[in-house]
Amino acid sequence: MSRAYDLIVVGGGTAGCVVAARASEDPARRVLLVEAGPDPQPVPGVIADPKRQSEVVLESPYVRMYDTERADGSSFPLLSGRVMGGGSAVNNLVVVRPMRADFDTWAAYGGPAWSYDALLPMMRAIEDDPEFADSPIHGTGGPLRLQRGYRLSDPADPPVKALIQAAADLGLPECPDLNVPEPFGICASPYNIRDGVRQSTAVAYLDPARPRPNLEIRADTSATRLILDGRRVQGVELAGPDGPDVVEADEVVLAAGAYHSPQLLLLSGIGPEDELRRVGIPMHRHMPGVGANHRDHAVVYVTFQGTTELREDYVIPKVRLIARSNPSLAVPDLHVFMRPSIRMPGLPPMLPVSIHLLEHRSAGRVTLASQDPDDLPIVRTGLLEDERDVRALVDGIGLVARLASHPALAEFYGPMIMPAVGDDWEDHVRTTYETYHHGTGTCRLGPADDPGAVVGPDLRVHGFDNLRVADASVLPTVPHANTNLAAILVGEIAARALPAPAARLES
Amino acid sequence: MKLTGTIVINAPIDRCWALVRNPVALAACVPGIRDVHPVDERTFEGSITASVGPLDGDFTFTAVITRMEPPSSIDVEVTGLDSVTKSRLETTVTATLLEDPPGTTTLAYRAEVRVKGRLAILGEMVLRATATMMVNQVAGCLRSRLEAASS
Repeated sequence: MSRAYDLIVVGGGTAGCVVAARASEDPARRVLLVEAGPDPQPVPGVIADPKRQSEVVLESPYVRMYDTERADGSSFPLLSGRVMGGGSAVNNLVVVRPMRADFDTWAAYGGPAWSYDALLPMMRAIEDDPEFADSPIHGTGGPLRLQRGYRLSDPADPPVKALIQAAADLGLPECPDLNVPEPFGICASPYNIRDGVRQSTAVAYLDPARPRPNLEIRADTSATRLILDGRRVQGVELAGPDGPDVVEADEVVLAAGAYHSPQLLLLSGIGPEDELRRVGIPMHRHMPGVGANHRDHAVVYVTFQGTTELREDYVIPKVRLIARSNPSLAVPDLHVFMRPSIRMPGLPPMLPVSIHLLEHRSAGRVTLASQDPDDLPIVRTGLLEDERDVRALVDGIGLVARLASHPALAEFYGPMIMPAVGDDWEDHVRTTYETYHHGTGTCRLGPADDPGAVVGPDLRVHGFDNLRVADASVLPTVPHANTNLAAILVGEIAARALPAPAARLES
Repeated sequence: MKLTGTIVINAPIDRCWALVRNPVALAACVPGIRDVHPVDERTFEGSITASVGPLDGDFTFTAVITRMEPPSSIDVEVTGLDSVTKSRLETTVTATLLEDPPGTTTLAYRAEVRVKGRLAILGEMVLRATATMMVNQVAGCLRSRLEAASS
């Protein structure tokens, strides 16, 4: 079979743009990047302007929704970015590192190369964070610009000032740098914004690479199946604007995200035998871990009757709380955000607070709806199936109730209305939780003798010589953080793990 | 999203029924609602304004009474469209009324809200709390209107 490319990257999302950009730095490597969504140039204002983040999520064509269900049968949506840059083009722009504890966990699956100390140089190389230029754990000059719209030393609006005071009295210290190994307290949120423009990986990584003659980009093009021959991927079947096509390469990297990377493996006959049989796909390799181990972060809302209106754009809040649902916990397990008011004529303002559980002890699964690549995969999140996760969120509601009743915040926050003080908070958690949109784990990392593992430490799929997965689906656990930076890190790891084209030709 | 609850009103069932089965009159008790008008005997249209943070939106809705068993039970199908995300809300509301003891009516409601479109992304943060506040407001308004009329 003739070789058309050295590398095909399937998926131009957060990690895929990183892999394509880094891999094409070698002019000898011919790279094809395939993205199912569009690649609008110039980047539309609705994506580029951080102030329009609500609009990109609620109104633009660049977000895809996946319905999923709670145990009681009620539904809520999962989201992914369907545009070049993926989640990094539509998310809340936050740049939050996983905690040291996350790397410790991942190193148990992937070995010392996945430890905090081993990956710190890579995290520094990713970022351009001039506000912490003198810090030994931060970097400057990397592709991803960080800025904080607000620093704790800045003059604060009255509600933010009240929140800082209330948090301090509850034992939550000021945390000016959210990206230390063990953040805790009230933290200024860092964002990937440069000169007022969103720095998705399509901008920060891919744009500088676009002029390279060895990089080809095909947008609006879906990968529908891998062409397999024993331990090798020979090529990828595509469906694009000009109809079906087949492309061939020596190396293939799947970076289609936690829902679509396992979907493509399953469509290609790589996955659990019973699942493949269920949908009538001939099995190429039995891999129980494909689609299993889905992890995410559950979110619940507590709504207070407001004494005033808070107009701040809720998607880009100035500060967040990183807290423990239980003081005995070694690792903080909650993000807490004060949200702006909901207003209706004739009603007092309502002030929601969101509580985000940063752990997920149970696991869900991604499965196929059918053999049709156009059918969205089915996602069972597995959220809150472990009682300890429910308990943590109930305790989180208690923490928020104590916080809001602090005299400084009582100026803004009236009584709890949803749930109310006498309500069954556990029932509220179970029947109303939603997600932080941090799907991970569905092609998880682990050694070859681990039946649930899909990829090894170098992100190569077990049993294959030239197939890798490089997105948040490889993470064995969901980090105690937003997942955008973790996905970028995975992209960097994958790019460094690729064999050099020359070396591959000789082998 | 499912919402259930009861409203106890110190008024006879016939008086409560007369208000419940008349959406134009009932609308006076619903905060934010505007321009409610009948299309036919069982169909009504109107709109509601709401804001979430920086977003301001209008919901236009059509309510159809699909079943009535005077004076004890009514089903209403409400279909709404929001101006910002163009999402569609479909709500089935069932209300039952029971007078016990005489002069006191308990109105039990059950609503199932289905959101089709991006508005679902704001679902629990916005819809449930807003619905809860609205129900509380409506309950208070109903009591004051009907109980004042009964006294």
